[in-house]
Amino acid sequence: MKKTAKRQNWTDLFLKTNTLSYKIKQYLMFAGPGTALFLCVVIVPFIYGLYLTFTSWDGVSKTKPFVGFENFSAAFSDSAYWSAMLRTVIYSVFAVVLINVVAFALAYLVTLGIKGQNFFRSGFFVPNLIGGIVLGYVWKFVFNRAFVAIFNSTSLLSTPKGAMFCLILASVWQYAGYMMLIYVAGFMSVSKDVKEAAFIDGCTSGQAMMHVTIPLMRSSFVQCIFLSITRCFVVYDVNLSLTKGEPFGSSVLAAMHVYNQAFTYKNYGLGQAEALILFIVCAVVGVTQVMIGKKGEVEA
Amino acid sequence: MKKRAIALFLTLAMVLALAACGASGESGAGDGATLTIFNSKMEIQSQMEEMAQKYSSEKGVNVEVYYSSDTVAAHMSTKYASKDPYVLSMVDAKDIYSLGAEHAIDLSAEKWVGDTTQAISVDSKVLGFPVCVEARGILYNGDAIKKATGKDFDPAAIKTTADLKALIDEIVAGGAELPVGLQKEDWSLGAHYFAEVYEMHEDPDAFIAGIKDGSVSLKDDSVFNALMDTFDVLKEYNYAKDAPISAEREVTEMMLAEGDLCFKFGGNWDWSNMSGTDYTENIGMMPVPSSLDGYNTTLVGGGSKYFFIDNSVSEELQQAAKDFLNWLVYDEEGQDFLVNTCALVPAFSNITLPVSDPLGASVKAYADNGALTPNYNYLPDDHYAKIGASFQKYLAGQIDRAGFADEITAYWATAEVGAH
Repeated sequence: MKKTAKRQNWTDLFLKTNTLSYKIKQYLMFAGPGTALFLCVVIVPFIYGLYLTFTSWDGVSKTKPFVGFENFSAAFSDSAYWSAMLRTVIYSVFAVVLINVVAFALAYLVTLGIKGQNFFRSGFFVPNLIGGIVLGYVWKFVFNRAFVAIFNSTSLLSTPKGAMFCLILASVWQYAGYMMLIYVAGFMSVSKDVKEAAFIDGCTSGQAMMHVTIPLMRSSFVQCIFLSITRCFVVYDVNLSLTKGEPFGSSVLAAMHVYNQAFTYKNYGLGQAEALILFIVCAVVGVTQVMIGKKGEVEA
Repeated sequence: MKKRAIALFLTLAMVLALAACGASGESGAGDGATLTIFNSKMEIQSQMEEMAQKYSSEKGVNVEVYYSSDTVAAHMSTKYASKDPYVLSMVDAKDIYSLGAEHAIDLSAEKWVGDTTQAISVDSKVLGFPVCVEARGILYNGDAIKKATGKDFDPAAIKTTADLKALIDEIVAGGAELPVGLQKEDWSLGAHYFAEVYEMHEDPDAFIAGIKDGSVSLKDDSVFNALMDTFDVLKEYNYAKDAPISAEREVTEMMLAEGDLCFKFGGNWDWSNMSGTDYTENIGMMPVPSSLDGYNTTLVGGGSKYFFIDNSVSEELQQAAKDFLNWLVYDEEGQDFLVNTCALVPAFSNITLPVSDPLGASVKAYADNGALTPNYNYLPDDHYAKIGASFQKYLAGQIDRAGFADEITAYWATAEVGAH
């Protein structure tokens, strides 16, 4: 008798799947650890950061004086910040377009079925495995020494436009291989049948590419462009090791300005406010792009 | 039952993970027994680590040395933000002023205070222990000069900008066409060269206040113009004059050490990169020439890098840190470590060991003769970057001297010097 009662309990606990407590338990069991970590390392710091934007903390002091919205008005009137932001936008536009054009072209070439294409795939992907800091130093050597010696010219890194060009080139080199992989997956997911059908209907290979393959790969484009936009907007490592903001502060991108503001100039609250604005700009651009991209997506 | 046990285990694991998350703030350096030292002089990190090992085994104190490639202020911010400070931190002078009042213990009662003129006091409490003396000036390579001119070089003969120009002309005639090196780094230009404009004034505070309220016109200031005249000469003969912004510090230092250059603006810290090269004998430092009498006889510098002891750690650790500082100043091994192992110029008059490197020896000679103009340690944190950027424009020929002066005046319209 006693035993049956216990059995009853057991089923109550685990078999009634529509109660709230069951759902909570299930959630905790499977997503609990992930949620806890996410709270710990993303949500809590984010909220704390938000709080810091309302203080004039210098980063080391024990007191954090509350100043209201002062940091935001200071951020909006910080002309160096906005010129860094403009520079970031210009850099991102060039870098995103070039990364995706190059990545798409590479993906096309390594899915043609040429000999040793797997070797080429991994070869183009390798730059992505080098950390941004190291990569910056490598390219700095190339621009400052190798190119100078080969072309017998002055270094590109010594002029403002040249420095931006170098930044864009290094980023394209770094990310094109990664995006290429996503495009390769896109190419492979387009089935041969539809292409064959297009050819039978009289398409040239260019037309088949434009009207069949590319529309079917739309999700790859959405992903790649989203990834490259978000990465370019917050780039810091390559910026630091390749140009360090030089010459005369003309290649300081937004993330570097935020870091300097918070840690080097010790305006932690202001830096945090500027970081928040950068985050919002980046999020708005990224989400808009995904929404526009998703709208016209077609299923094969 | 088994499932229940697993669920229990998972819950426990999660609670533990979260607890670890929350507690990490209080653990770390404060675990009671370790004397943690932050070293901000990259060039002596390996020596510091070796010393720590030896010191630990001999004195029975566990010493650990850390280094960060961040700027000192940035690294300190992170450590204090995470409530995990070092017991003993080596920072720049300005950090003692900004951190000391809140975080450092009073060292006024220590014996070494009487043996140095470089300690830093805030509110008449000694908070900063000077690690070494560093000074700025023109570095020269006497052998390279002799090779070009055929005459022995006497640094004391170069007083004015015209003297310098005449000598360089002679060197150029002797075959070395571009015998000068200039660094493009913002700290070298903004915090080292340009700062001399403030430091060479009798009262830097009044001078800066004058720029701020408009009573001083920087464009017409004689000290500024004299220093910029000298800079123009250096710039004209800069080996990298076609692309001065891509000159690399290490290359410039190596060229000077090996005799490909005759002059470079810098300081005795440059030796850390020069010592590994195939350097020539007669290398030294001299003051930046100036056409103003009395402004060309001193190097600029003083105590550089300061230790402070954190006030939140246990008494024992504070005592261990004090013992360590005394070891550096009064123990023979400590003195040997400072002067010979790390090749630093000591800031203490009781240390009589001869300084081993030629640039340090020059600095020591000037310091011993009282010919050091003190550093101005109260410039705002963004000064070196902002003024450095303007100076880079000047170096690259993007703006002229008047434009440069305007940018500096504009900077000071909003900037404030640090409290002192």
